[in-house]
Amino acid sequence: MKKFLKAVKDGAVKGVRTGIFLLKIMIPIYVVVVFIKHSFLMEFLEKLFTPIMGIFKLQGDAAVPFIAGVFTDEYGAVAAMKGFDFTMAQITTLAMIVLTFHSIPVESAIAAKIGFPALKFALFRLISAVLIGILIGFLGGMFL
Amino acid sequence: MMDATLNDILMEILHGSLGTILNLAKVLIPLMIIIQLLMVYDVMEKIANRLEGIGKLMGMSKNAMLPLVVGFVMGVSYGAGTLLELNKTNPLSKRDMALLGTFMFLCHGIIETGLLFGVNGASVVTITLGRALIALAVTMVFARTPIIKNMDNVTPITNSPEKEEALKRLKAD
Repeated sequence: MKKFLKAVKDGAVKGVRTGIFLLKIMIPIYVVVVFIKHSFLMEFLEKLFTPIMGIFKLQGDAAVPFIAGVFTDEYGAVAAMKGFDFTMAQITTLAMIVLTFHSIPVESAIAAKIGFPALKFALFRLISAVLIGILIGFLGGMFL
Repeated sequence: MMDATLNDILMEILHGSLGTILNLAKVLIPLMIIIQLLMVYDVMEKIANRLEGIGKLMGMSKNAMLPLVVGFVMGVSYGAGTLLELNKTNPLSKRDMALLGTFMFLCHGIIETGLLFGVNGASVVTITLGRALIALAVTMVFARTPIIKNMDNVTPITNSPEKEEALKRLKAD
């Protein structure tokens, strides 16, 4: 029981610490996204990405959390996602894409460190993310 | 240039930031408690020991199951750490590495991502079970392609004293 309680306490402390660390990344992303959303830049981004995001049954603004996720991580994608209104099906599709292809700089460094061909894996993940996005976008429209 | 007043934007940022802090607490505190419990009670080792069958389906040897389970459940950085430790004493074969990488980079950290996207409005079943099944299927297909099949698969000795030592050290961290 002592072991259990200690683990819970240690875990909670780690959770708070990680949270403070992540907030320093998430809040700035969120702030930037809110400003972009209300600026002329958004119109341009929407025009640019609407056709691409359309293959996943998403609107153009879904490109913003996707890009944030690629360069930061899942938390960055969620922070950016919070700036827009998405339905559950759209969030699920976006999550499946982002979760397959995210934190590319950091995870490529990890991959290289443990002996994986980083570029090959990044490319493999991108292709998988596109295929998964098409599949879930299609299914999500029917079930969610 | 802006379609809302600065005041509106600042209010939106304040509101969204508070929501983010709250959501992050809901994700990270349970996540870290779960991970700590999994480590303290050696749950990953116990699960990995039982997954030889699924490992075989994916063309992997028993040796690869611990980093796979750790990466799948807890996340890429934990899985990588386990793999680094394991490689010091009981290196994985090329084939195991390729298949482990395929699975782990497609689907990792299911507790974390389930909590994070669950709290933020995604379908938890889809993003957890869906990703696991996709990664399983892709790895199974890859294991049956000639490129991977022909890879060097020297099976190193399992359960050597060095491996036990490495596992102990991993627990101590």
